[in-house]
Amino acid sequence: MKSRVFITGATGGLGKAFAVECASRGSDLFLTDISDASLAKLSESLANTYGIKVSFYSCDLTDAGSRAGLYGHIRSRCLMFDFLINVAGLDFEGAFAERTPDQIRTMVRLNIEANLELTHELLKLRDPARTFRIINVSSLAAFYPMPVKAMYSASKRFLLNFSRALGEELRSRNVTVTALCPAGMPTTPECIEAIEAQGLAGRITTCNVGYVASKTIDMALRGKQVYIPGLLNRILRAAGSVVPDSIIARAVGSRWNAAHTRRMRRHGTNKAYT
Amino acid sequence: MENSNDTIKTIVITGATSGIGLAAAKELAMKGAYVIGTGRSEERCRYAEQEVKSVCPDANITYLAADLSSLSEVRRLASDIRETLAKDGFSQLDVLINNAGTVSSWYISTVDGFELQFAVNHLAPFLLTNELLPLLGRSRAGTVICTSSGSHYRTRLRWNDIMLRKHYNTLLAYKQTKLANVLFVTELNRRLAASGSNIKAFALDPGLVDTDIGFKGTSGIAKLVWKFRSKGGTSPEVPAHSMAYLALDPEPRSTGKVYWKDCRPKEPSRYSQKPDVAKKLWELSERMCGIIGHKSSQEQKQTAV
Repeated sequence: MKSRVFITGATGGLGKAFAVECASRGSDLFLTDISDASLAKLSESLANTYGIKVSFYSCDLTDAGSRAGLYGHIRSRCLMFDFLINVAGLDFEGAFAERTPDQIRTMVRLNIEANLELTHELLKLRDPARTFRIINVSSLAAFYPMPVKAMYSASKRFLLNFSRALGEELRSRNVTVTALCPAGMPTTPECIEAIEAQGLAGRITTCNVGYVASKTIDMALRGKQVYIPGLLNRILRAAGSVVPDSIIARAVGSRWNAAHTRRMRRHGTNKAYT
Repeated sequence: MENSNDTIKTIVITGATSGIGLAAAKELAMKGAYVIGTGRSEERCRYAEQEVKSVCPDANITYLAADLSSLSEVRRLASDIRETLAKDGFSQLDVLINNAGTVSSWYISTVDGFELQFAVNHLAPFLLTNELLPLLGRSRAGTVICTSSGSHYRTRLRWNDIMLRKHYNTLLAYKQTKLANVLFVTELNRRLAASGSNIKAFALDPGLVDTDIGFKGTSGIAKLVWKFRSKGGTSPEVPAHSMAYLALDPEPRSTGKVYWKDCRPKEPSRYSQKPDVAKKLWELSERMCGIIGHKSSQEQKQTAV
């Protein structure tokens, strides 16, 4: 039986890169994201290019009712998976006190609630005879308390800890869980702008998304628990682990504040950066 | 079909809002051709239309906006072109100039999941040409021109990762797409000749030109390098003139040469003339563009909601 991969956030930059990578390895795909039209386009093109089966279902993962619809759809078609890649996530960058209650709820629902629920649901639908692999997209931000991205970095820390613990819990049952912790990736014009606003530091910590997707799949197949793309990012992470958190928060805060201000000055927007 | 429009050449130029494309639109309009230019944004299209009309007030020019990074947009553009031609009383397209091109410092994937440069520089011309072949076939001297580049020399296609997903490099990706243009034109000529069509295809080498292509989607260092390098280049009017020559002059058609620079044929790279490579790229591009009804795409439609 061919491997079937379930990908959330499949039409975003990283999600798409995972979809292309898995398709190029010959896996069948099940894609979900919020826009039906984007899913249809990507699915058709991947099926044409790689000769695989692609199905999709559009779903607003921040909405419990919409998620229930997704589970119903999967169950009614008796779909089984052996790979889950949780990519969907978002960030509302900026001072926490200035976030709206709606932004706060949306982030917790998408970055945390949806991830937990979907992982729980798909574990029930696995074929126990086959290895089941999960990739959770955390972030390099998970390793540091990050002012201006406080909710985001905390939600990614949640996913990092959850992944590590779940992987241990299910080790004997042939399940592997990999937390991907990338730095910013140039996937959309907004992301590129955010990276360039950080100057040289942004550019040299940045990896191309195609490379990250490919390496992450390799890592997951090897059962690695945490993967940080980019040698420099791994060094930063190692250096970060010997410095007290309070100092890191202070340093990160001043860097991010500066980069954030530069971006805001340039554009006056407050757009999401995932 | 015989009508008063029969003597007017109908020409489509993609990427005609700046650089070589805009210069060629001006020259061709001044020579009395009916021109449809394309650009990514409505706003830039309006601006370019005014530009052309400022040098040629009675220009017969229309602009259509389309984002060539998306296959469905390319298809929509093809149908807009058909409609526009029909509306103005033309039953044929004489010349298609696939000129639009881009550069990107980062690996960006398009809505269809393709690398941006590969999609815009290779797949879009491939699909647009295939879509418009029936219209070109109705012309007495149908012509397809692709803006390639001298950067197609000394490179090859990386078949195991053709879109350089894993090891993306801006220049390598660009060179590869320009090589793909020559391979496409070569294979297109072979197929057209085999089917008895009188359409001819050419690749144009513009040389080093002072345009803003190096500023599209690139980072600081690349912008700086291009800023200095492009100053050493010719003005866009020079390759635009070669473009107009290929589009209007009957001479190049009789030579059987595919690769042209400064109104003269030139030897393209030996790799670009390998029949097996050109055929393989053609077949891959057909699959990518969904030109061949792929089995799994049908299945996918059934499983989709």
